[in-house]
Amino acid sequence: MEQNLLELKNIHKSFGENLIHQGVSLTLKKGESLGLLGGSGTGKSVLLRSIIGLERIDRGEILFHQERIEHLSENQLTPYRIKMSYSFQNGALFDSVNVFENIAYPLFEHTKLSYDEIKTKVADMLKLIDLEGKEELMPSDLSGGMQKRVGMARSMILNPEIILYDEPTAGLDPANTLNVVSLMQKLKQKGIASIFVTHDISSAIMLCDRIIVLHQGKIIFNDTPMHFQRSDNPIVQKFINSKE
Amino acid sequence: MRTLSYQLSSISLQLKRFFIFIGEIFALFFETIRCTFSSPFYFSRLMEQITHIGYGSTSITVVIGLTMGLVMTLNFGYGLAKFGGTLYVPAVVSLSLAREMAPLFTSLLVAGRVGSGIAAEIGAMNVTQQIDAIRALGTSPVRVLVVPRFWALVLSLPLLSALSFAVGILGGLIVCKTEFDIIPGLYLYKVFSTVKFHDYMSGLVKSAVFAGIITIFACYKGLNTRDGTKGVGLTTTWVVVTASILILVTDFFISKIFLVIW
Ligand SMILES: Nc1ncnc2c1ncn2[C@@H]1O[C@H](COP(=O)(O)OP(=O)(O)OP(=O)(O)O)[C@@H](O)[C@H]1O
Ligand SMILES: [Mg+2]
Repeated sequence: MEQNLLELKNIHKSFGENLIHQGVSLTLKKGESLGLLGGSGTGKSVLLRSIIGLERIDRGEILFHQERIEHLSENQLTPYRIKMSYSFQNGALFDSVNVFENIAYPLFEHTKLSYDEIKTKVADMLKLIDLEGKEELMPSDLSGGMQKRVGMARSMILNPEIILYDEPTAGLDPANTLNVVSLMQKLKQKGIASIFVTHDISSAIMLCDRIIVLHQGKIIFNDTPMHFQRSDNPIVQKFINSKE
Repeated sequence: MRTLSYQLSSISLQLKRFFIFIGEIFALFFETIRCTFSSPFYFSRLMEQITHIGYGSTSITVVIGLTMGLVMTLNFGYGLAKFGGTLYVPAVVSLSLAREMAPLFTSLLVAGRVGSGIAAEIGAMNVTQQIDAIRALGTSPVRVLVVPRFWALVLSLPLLSALSFAVGILGGLIVCKTEFDIIPGLYLYKVFSTVKFHDYMSGLVKSAVFAGIITIFACYKGLNTRDGTKGVGLTTTWVVVTASILILVTDFFISKIFLVIW
């Protein structure tokens, strides 16, 4: 049997009175892509943030390679944050340094590569995201779509096993959306597993092996894209219809 | 009865928040020290901050130092002249400059310039998720942001106070020469025979402590900024006011300690 790369067991999370997750469980296998759908404010971002430890869950277990990580301290989380990366909704680039320094940051921090090796790696990465030769630009000089791609580049430069994408295509025009989706496809072909939070159902269906729907703190659907499209669950129906 | 119990519970809630706040400030301070003595230490970031925070504050330091020297000498001079005590002016001015005025006023100005700058910068990074990004990429915001700023100011502020003292003494010299006919040789002799090693030390130690207060409070508030751009504005104001008040209060206690132990 294939081992689970990531497993969430019965996650509970609330902010004060505001109950966000009430028993969320899911599994992610090696190389698999999960599409995570849900209305605005259902806690999709909070779920991704909890997985990588930016947010603490109240109850439940998070297992990475069968090891529990939900109780680890910031320092103990470091090795997991190298293997599992989070691609922020708006890129979250460091705005005081240029594109090169942004993408190179994890390499300078976590590897012993020489400056020249890092330069080559960053140049290759920029080619992959279609921003060749843009090392010297500052984040403020980039469009929203470019910022997102640079943010994605920064989160995948260490070759993580999992990438958590938070709405990578939100607010992009069709051309930029296609750019981002094809980038995600390339990474998927490299065998990188992912959780893809999105409102963009067609991209999710195209890209993902499984679709998960989060509704009122629980997972109400978890199956293949094909079953998703044929589902007669009213909430799923509403999602599919909202697309048109 | 009901209002009383309501008020009591609101007071106890406020107290609880206050103690949590104090606890978090100390936690940030100890984390800063811990990160300083474990690798990696970002030397280039430290140098960058020393240039930005320390070197960048020299001009206002010179202005405040010179003004203090001129104004204090003028006022003490005319005040003491009534009692025929003009000759005591160099001693009085230099002693109060070294022990109190130079470190205190330099630190207050730096709290305004640097404290607000740090708080705004880190606060803006926080509301744009850059702090989360630092954490998500497996690095520590304290190590990357707080440690370089903390040590940059703790090293720079005593030097800035010394500069402010030196310029203040120069200001005094000018006024003594032009207004009270005290020649520079005599003035400097008076200054250096009055101000002793522990007076200088008192000023330097104070500056270092004030530097620690400014950076820890500014970084703490920056790291806890909420509510977008508006939050950043509130953070900046809060840091300048709180740091200034704390500097004034701490100044009294450190002065007292130095008077007792020396
Ligand atoms: N730090 C926080 N403190 C308090 N409440 C929070 C915090 N972060 C998120 N929330 C609340 O948690 C809920 C879920 O937020 P989340 O950002 O996960 O939604 P989402 O599913 O990602 O929505 P969207 O599709 O709009 O991005 C929201 O009601 C939000 O107000
Ligand atoms: Mg979200």
